[in-house]
Amino acid sequence: MREITVAEAIREALSEEMDRNPEVFVFGEDVGLFGGCFGVTAGLYQKYPDRVLDTMIAETGIMGITLGAAYSGMKPVPEIMFSDFITVVMDYLANQSSKNRYMTGMQEGGKDAGFVLRVPNGSGTRAAAQHSQCMEQYLMPIAGLKIAIPSTPYDTKGLLKYAIRGNDPVVFLEHKMLYGLKGPVPEEEYLVPFCSADVKREGKDVTVVATQAMVHKSLAAAKRLEAEGLSIEVVDPRSLKPLDMKTILNSVKKTKHIVVANEAPKTHNALAEIALRVVEEAFDYLEAPPVRVCGPDTPIPFSPVLEDTWTRSEDDIIAGIREVLK
Amino acid sequence: MIGIIANPASGKDIRRLVAQGTVFDNMEKVNIIQRILVVLHNAGIKDIYMMPDSFRILESAVFALARNLRIDAEVSEIDMICENNQNDSAKAAELLLELGANCIITLGGDGTNRAVAKGCGDVPLIPLSTGTNNVFPKVIEGTVAGMAAVVAELDTERAFFRTRRCKRLCVYKNYELVDMALVDAAVTKDRFIGARALWDLDAITEIFVTMARADSIGMSAIAGYFHPVPENGPTGLYIEIGKRCGFSVRVPIAPGMVEEISVGEVRELLPGERIKIATPEGIIALDGEREVPFRKGDVMEIGLGHDGPFVVEVEQTLTSAARGGFFVKRF
Amino acid sequence: MKLTDNDLIGLYRDMVYIRQFETRVQELFAAGVLPGFIHLGIGQEACMAGTCFNLVDGDIIGATHREHGVLLCRGVDGKAIMAELYGKVTGTCKGKGGSMHACGLKQGALGNNAILGPAQTIVNGFAYAHKFRKNGKVAVTMFGDGASNRGEFHEGLNFASIWNLPSIYIINNNGYAISVPKSKQQKVEDLSARAAGYGIPGVQIDGNDIITVVETVGEAVKRAREGGGPSLIELKTYRWRGHFEGDPTPYRTAEELESWKKKDPIARFEKVLADQGIAKQKDFDGIAAEVKTKVDECQKFAEDSPWPPLSEIYTDIYYHEEGSVQQ
Repeated sequence: MREITVAEAIREALSEEMDRNPEVFVFGEDVGLFGGCFGVTAGLYQKYPDRVLDTMIAETGIMGITLGAAYSGMKPVPEIMFSDFITVVMDYLANQSSKNRYMTGMQEGGKDAGFVLRVPNGSGTRAAAQHSQCMEQYLMPIAGLKIAIPSTPYDTKGLLKYAIRGNDPVVFLEHKMLYGLKGPVPEEEYLVPFCSADVKREGKDVTVVATQAMVHKSLAAAKRLEAEGLSIEVVDPRSLKPLDMKTILNSVKKTKHIVVANEAPKTHNALAEIALRVVEEAFDYLEAPPVRVCGPDTPIPFSPVLEDTWTRSEDDIIAGIREVLK
Repeated sequence: MIGIIANPASGKDIRRLVAQGTVFDNMEKVNIIQRILVVLHNAGIKDIYMMPDSFRILESAVFALARNLRIDAEVSEIDMICENNQNDSAKAAELLLELGANCIITLGGDGTNRAVAKGCGDVPLIPLSTGTNNVFPKVIEGTVAGMAAVVAELDTERAFFRTRRCKRLCVYKNYELVDMALVDAAVTKDRFIGARALWDLDAITEIFVTMARADSIGMSAIAGYFHPVPENGPTGLYIEIGKRCGFSVRVPIAPGMVEEISVGEVRELLPGERIKIATPEGIIALDGEREVPFRKGDVMEIGLGHDGPFVVEVEQTLTSAARGGFFVKRF
Repeated sequence: MKLTDNDLIGLYRDMVYIRQFETRVQELFAAGVLPGFIHLGIGQEACMAGTCFNLVDGDIIGATHREHGVLLCRGVDGKAIMAELYGKVTGTCKGKGGSMHACGLKQGALGNNAILGPAQTIVNGFAYAHKFRKNGKVAVTMFGDGASNRGEFHEGLNFASIWNLPSIYIINNNGYAISVPKSKQQKVEDLSARAAGYGIPGVQIDGNDIITVVETVGEAVKRAREGGGPSLIELKTYRWRGHFEGDPTPYRTAEELESWKKKDPIARFEKVLADQGIAKQKDFDGIAAEVKTKVDECQKFAEDSPWPPLSEIYTDIYYHEEGSVQQ
């Protein structure tokens, strides 16, 4: 199968969905001629000059266009340059788009309001505390919102196409350090539905539930531990809301151990909810309490030596696995 | 005593929407008032009265002067209750007349001055334009207007002070004087006063003007572009609009709007003469604002009078004062 | 603008309907029948009726928590609105929105922005969709002087102007943001003057004169439909009631309220209609009686309607329910 990068997978998904639905449009800061801050939308503007729109630096203005157009039945795919900036538009996510359908009692004319907000997520670019965070934990409690959190080119393309065809508000988290990651993506059309966790590696001793860059670090850790005779199962939820607990629970029932691995700070980490639900729903299967491999409860530092230590590594995941097996 | 009337509502009506009118913010009126007050303060004049308004233009100006220039401007507010409409300007003018004002500086457009003219009697006006569509008030810098007001106040012998009496149009409804205009009266088929401003040319049937300049815009310009009438001449003009019996003329009808207008009958309006309106029912717009409704059966007449308000000839006043050494202090 | 006698009577009826409906809501709230917060638009009827008069099917208007009247004028069933205020399942939102979110999306009446600000940017999304579809429709956002201090006012007007969207911004300037007077909110005296900063027309008018509102909003709507872009219109008005029902209004004087009651938009319009020979007192009385029957019906309908089933808590979260909602 051919291999393409995550960035190419996103571009293909956008382009295919724009061909499919003439009311899909892409917009945001520098997404047009410039091709996006990370080059993800390069070439799209040339193909769809009327539907790839540059905006001013006005995140709430962007979200206003998004919500109004979505309520009108169009399919906006806005980009906010860094996921850190979603705090600026939190009202639109927490109080407007996610609640609109509920508050209006699913009225005709407002119920199919869907959009996909694409946001680059994660650390590793030496961009310090305001441009490096993984923001999923800020979004977890919002009823009515969906969160996609892919880790491979295949999943990214399939989930993005699925999200654009859906009628719900979606925050689509793209990890910056994975944009250049290559992987197999078929030429033919396919979708990856939400709420479909993927077992990235099968194993029988420990379940590691990880997202984005941590998926790849977990896979590398599993490979190293294989030499010691440990069999690690790596599960990627792919979407956090809705969340496929069934796959995770099945895995934990088999391995009897769970480690969750996510880049963001430990307190209220999005995956802590997964660990807790495992405790609630599969307590009798567990041989040890869950372990969280998450960032420290601090802002992300700038200096490369500090950031590299701040960001949880393969070694940290191995340490977490050893702890759960202790 | 010097009176000041600044209309807080001028410069922001529907003309911003239907033409390219400028938004004239009240902060700029506050700035103009500050400049006038600095000049009067500098001349030692403390007997100043100004119309109160809901925007507190005066209070803002006095506060800014105290803060920025450390000038403690002494100005009194005219003792009146505001209705926040154009009656305020008329009432303020009446009170200034009673208080014995030597002149009244007005900030507003044709409509504001029309209201002031109803109450000011023979107190001369220094009308400053705050808008883009005005014929009666002139674009004069507030500082210069302040200097002319200084002459009005201190030239007690009237050696230099120059004024001119304006014409006006009197509107009679069933033989009774009901209203007046300084520049133009346009008869329209509209039924309602509504947004006041006049922009729907299709509704206009007849126009009366006291003056018609080719270098102006608006209703009076319609006449100005084929039959100019000087502001200090004895006559006015009556024209019939819309009928395709005469000729057409291209006229700047509003800021940024040029229209082709069909003109029918044209005749000079002589002093004292009254012309009966031919339109059976509608509204008469005075100085650009719909004001006087009339219905079938009402006898409506418009006449030209030479008994309009006095205005200060700013340039002549300042020039003659300068020639006479009014501003000079000898050592 | 050519208004027929029917138009004029329709406008009058709309204003009376709003006044009576809101007065009934006031009474029901005072009697302890209605739960929650209630914000009434009594005194601002001309702003609502005059604006909505210019809108057609497909146009969108989003207002705030004070504009039940906008829904009435756009043809949302008063029965469903009243039922929503009661929290009944027959309400516009099945009783899940209440007074602050009652709406009629099919009628182009969004009601769901009781957080002041977002509506000023969201209007542009509707306007963008209209422009993209070249359908000649407009999107209106109506908010107060208080909400004009939100950052969204700036971002919204900037977007609307640079994208030349058919968005119309209408400020019902009633002089108070809850208790804070305008003098403590804005240094600039005229909110309409802020339009200059975005290169669009700004107009300030008497919001208690229905004809003025109809004409001015009409011109803005016409301009927007023809591709002329957005406008900002400031309607000077006054709310007779407090910010919310139960507000003791210590921030304003009885004289101020009385002076505005003299500018009652309904009484003023009655005089115009009578002067023009379009309607007489007996016509006004007839309309009042007819509207009263309608409002009685709204109340009765709401009273007789059932409460929502408890299962409603868990529905309408997602369009596509892939996972289950944790209960």
